[in-house]
Amino acid sequence: MKYNLWCGEYDGKLKLSKDFAKSFAKAKNPSPVPEEAFEEAKEKVKNYYEVLRRVAIEVTERKVERELRREDRYVIMLVKALDELNEAINLLEEKYRDLVEVKTSEISEEFEERIRGLKELRRRIEREIDEVMGKIAPNLTEILGAKIAARLLERAGSMEKLAILPASTIQIIGAEKSLFKALTRIRKGKKAKIPKHGIIFQHPFIRSLPKRKRGKMARFMAGKLAIAAKLDYFSGELKEELAEEVRRKYEELARA
Amino acid sequence: MKNLQELEEVLPNTYFIQVNGKRLLATKSKYPPFYGERKYGEYREWIPTRSKLSAAIIKGLRPKIKEDTKILYLGAASGTTVSHLSDIVEEGVIYAVEYSAKPFVKFLELAKERRNIVPLLEDARKPENYSGIVEKVDFIYQDIAQRDQIDIFIKNAEFFLKKGGIGIIMVKARSIDSTLEPEKIFKNVEKELKRKFDLLSKIDIQSYHKDHVCFYLRWRG
Repeated sequence: MKYNLWCGEYDGKLKLSKDFAKSFAKAKNPSPVPEEAFEEAKEKVKNYYEVLRRVAIEVTERKVERELRREDRYVIMLVKALDELNEAINLLEEKYRDLVEVKTSEISEEFEERIRGLKELRRRIEREIDEVMGKIAPNLTEILGAKIAARLLERAGSMEKLAILPASTIQIIGAEKSLFKALTRIRKGKKAKIPKHGIIFQHPFIRSLPKRKRGKMARFMAGKLAIAAKLDYFSGELKEELAEEVRRKYEELARA
Repeated sequence: MKNLQELEEVLPNTYFIQVNGKRLLATKSKYPPFYGERKYGEYREWIPTRSKLSAAIIKGLRPKIKEDTKILYLGAASGTTVSHLSDIVEEGVIYAVEYSAKPFVKFLELAKERRNIVPLLEDARKPENYSGIVEKVDFIYQDIAQRDQIDIFIKNAEFFLKKGGIGIIMVKARSIDSTLEPEKIFKNVEKELKRKFDLLSKIDIQSYHKDHVCFYLRWRG
């Protein structure tokens, strides 16, 4: 059995690696590493803990930087790509159906194969969005789910912008068209319907409520989302109380 | 310093002190304040509302930690509690795991300042990913508010905890199941933990941290 240690490989004997930073990043093993391996490492690496600590700091610093570097841009691009992909898949599926209605052939089989490939890509993009959102916006994701949270982020433009948006804007983000239509009507002195919710309407907590309660829920949720966005951007630590409060409010409204 | 009095040593470098008539928990430290705590002479105040371990110690927990204890710390966040543990295990080492990059920026400042902290930006759910870095340890501390926090704890103990080693886990009822009564959850958790650990003590810290209980355990290995 061979084990990967941060400072080298062990298979009964330790072979030190030339580049500790590299072997550190690959120090994975499916089962626990025997103690002798570490004992030998401590003999072979001079100032073991000092060196380990230095390598760990170096590697972690790079990792942190990579993770924080514009991961929000990445999600936004993924969301945009996902939309395009959805459109493409729908379009192609339609063409595919038209095609096989006339004749099945090698080409039509290949066509189907390609569409399946695109659907697989779509699944992978969705998973990636889930994963990155959980890291860069744990609080928003906890309240909204990764999909809707990512869409909110896409509309806002960046985590920084989202963090400084007021709750009232978050509430109607995605419903700009009807908002401005309403504002124009008001300016003209006419009656107008101001939208209660934009993107966040997609969330079951709002969608599943009767119409007259949706506004209340959207307002409450937007307030919590504004806090969540600030937490995500400035601290990054998860505070489950927020999602909890949103859930309780929903239960309260659903019951009443 | 005037009006400063050492009352009782509870752990290495850890004391109850009396300052201006107030009784505080503090660790003796060569380092400056880290998270907004006050420093009285060489004592760094250990704030129970900020650190669950501090709350547990004030509530009577006396974990078996020595100067050279090796610790695996899961859920290090920005390092509030780790900074005090680092004062305590002067000759030991703390392997500190945290999943999220943002709070770790601040944590890295601490890791650079201290000599006994090894920072690891890893997912504690996957101990295999840092199994070639962390050696066998005497003590695992976990403060991760996740639904599967008990599984995470046991999995890491299986990988890294010495037989007879000790563990502390801060269990947050609401993150395990927000619909059940906390008392019920704590009971279930206790049963689950007892399958693999001896329960040494169970400390209620709800007066400082809502819905939290601290379990102090010994690993049967």
